[in-house]
Amino acid sequence: MANSQPIISMYDQPMWESIRAHGWKLQQCDDCSSFRYPPAPNCPHCLSMSSTWKALSGKGKIISWVIFHKQYFDNFPTPYNSVAVQLDEGPIVISNLVGEEPQGSWIGREVEICYGEDSAIGTVPKVRLSK
Amino acid sequence: MTTARNLSKVGAVIGVGQSDYVSDHARVLAGDKPHDSYGYAAIAFNKALADAGIERDEIDGLIVGPTIAYERTGEILGINPRWGSQADAMLAVIEACMAIQTGMAEVVALVYGNDQRSAAIQYGGPEAMGGNMFLSYVYHAPWGFTSQGALYAMMFRRFMEVTGCTEAQLGEVAVAQRLAASLNPHALMRKTITIEQYMASRYICEPLHLFDYCLINDGGVALIIAEAGRAKKMAEKAATRKKPVLVHGVGRYDLNRGATSLEPRLLDFYRPAQEACAEQVFNMAGVEHKDIDAVQIYDSFSCHVPLALEGYGYCRSGDVGRFMQEDGISLKGKLPVNTGGGHLSETYMQGWNHQVEAVRQVRGECGARQVEDCRFVHYNSDVAGKAVSIIYGT
Ligand SMILES: [Zn+2]
Repeated sequence: MANSQPIISMYDQPMWESIRAHGWKLQQCDDCSSFRYPPAPNCPHCLSMSSTWKALSGKGKIISWVIFHKQYFDNFPTPYNSVAVQLDEGPIVISNLVGEEPQGSWIGREVEICYGEDSAIGTVPKVRLSK
Repeated sequence: MTTARNLSKVGAVIGVGQSDYVSDHARVLAGDKPHDSYGYAAIAFNKALADAGIERDEIDGLIVGPTIAYERTGEILGINPRWGSQADAMLAVIEACMAIQTGMAEVVALVYGNDQRSAAIQYGGPEAMGGNMFLSYVYHAPWGFTSQGALYAMMFRRFMEVTGCTEAQLGEVAVAQRLAASLNPHALMRKTITIEQYMASRYICEPLHLFDYCLINDGGVALIIAEAGRAKKMAEKAATRKKPVLVHGVGRYDLNRGATSLEPRLLDFYRPAQEACAEQVFNMAGVEHKDIDAVQIYDSFSCHVPLALEGYGYCRSGDVGRFMQEDGISLKGKLPVNTGGGHLSETYMQGWNHQVEAVRQVRGECGARQVEDCRFVHYNSDVAGKAVSIIYGT
């Protein structure tokens, strides 16, 4: 086994820098205002090449979740969860829910971004239930 | 929706072949390595050639599966084709028909081999991260999310919530396919299971259980597709030859927008692609759902089956849990699905074994698992960013 590592294209670099600074930013299209995830050379909606890095509000909702019982990585001992979160800005991101877990269905629960330290990766954005 | 130009009844499958999944698997489990991917491909090719009853040099087209190199496979099989390509199972069938329709080839060999078990290929984890050129979900490695099983588990969790389909209802897939496999001498997992055993099996990526995951084994598959008129003449000339199985319709549609963030899967369950595919394939084939006698579905995970049954219109939206439980998808049910046992219980040949099963069902060669009066078999898949559909028939 080995540790998991992010896949980092040249467009991902600024995003991970913002994550390390605990202020996750994504590109917002200068022409149609949509947010891009993953970071990309152009806007998939209007094909504009121009964008501005904007800090996320940090809020979103869980739209699905899974619990891993088989281990794939040294830095992810089981069991652990992965959640799909739709950010208030629009994009869906995969993350891990930390802290208290909901009883029953997780879908529709409001979450906020927080920052965790992974032994292999460094700072990684996670989510926790909104107060 | 644009209408595809007609590929209906252009190509006919005249031969199928496969390696001996059962004995090779036993040898691999015992620590042996009977063949590599090329060896399995060569075995399957020779059997398909014999099944078709043609000479190797009648072949003028070659399509090689994604796990082996095109030029090397052609070298091993001694084929200099007029036209050649590399494609997965479903696209190989469509491309063969396209090559025939355009006159680029007349008799096309489709060849696949994979030593994934003996080579210890991992679908998920560090090795899968090398798939970042092809597989969008490995982008989520920083959150431990790289396996294709996890992708479908995530999709199916939301589907259950939206439709009310339960884990026990999903279990109908594994139970039905194991029943089919118990009647298939080529299947690796031939012991039937019950819903209770399914529910008691461990989770791999919850909500998916062990029995929701496909096998990993070595093997090879080959098909030979000929121009339909020529196939008919060949069969008429030699009474020993098997009746050609026609490709009546094909369809394809992909959802790439938002693929990495899983939008088309989580928000739409990939349904717009399946609906577009269904429209193409049924229109081209000129048949309706009621004409389909058996369905084959690419099942790297069991949940492909309910998603496809709704997506391709075999039951009402939101009704698939009840449909699988009450109407039934086993050989004893209303709509037999994956009649050979599929990837879950027969063999994991990345969709290639499903094409062979479809052909044999139409030929009436399936013995104890034969679907009665089987005239049309509908194949469909949703794999890593593409939905493909094919209707085979007499
Ligand atoms: Zn834009």
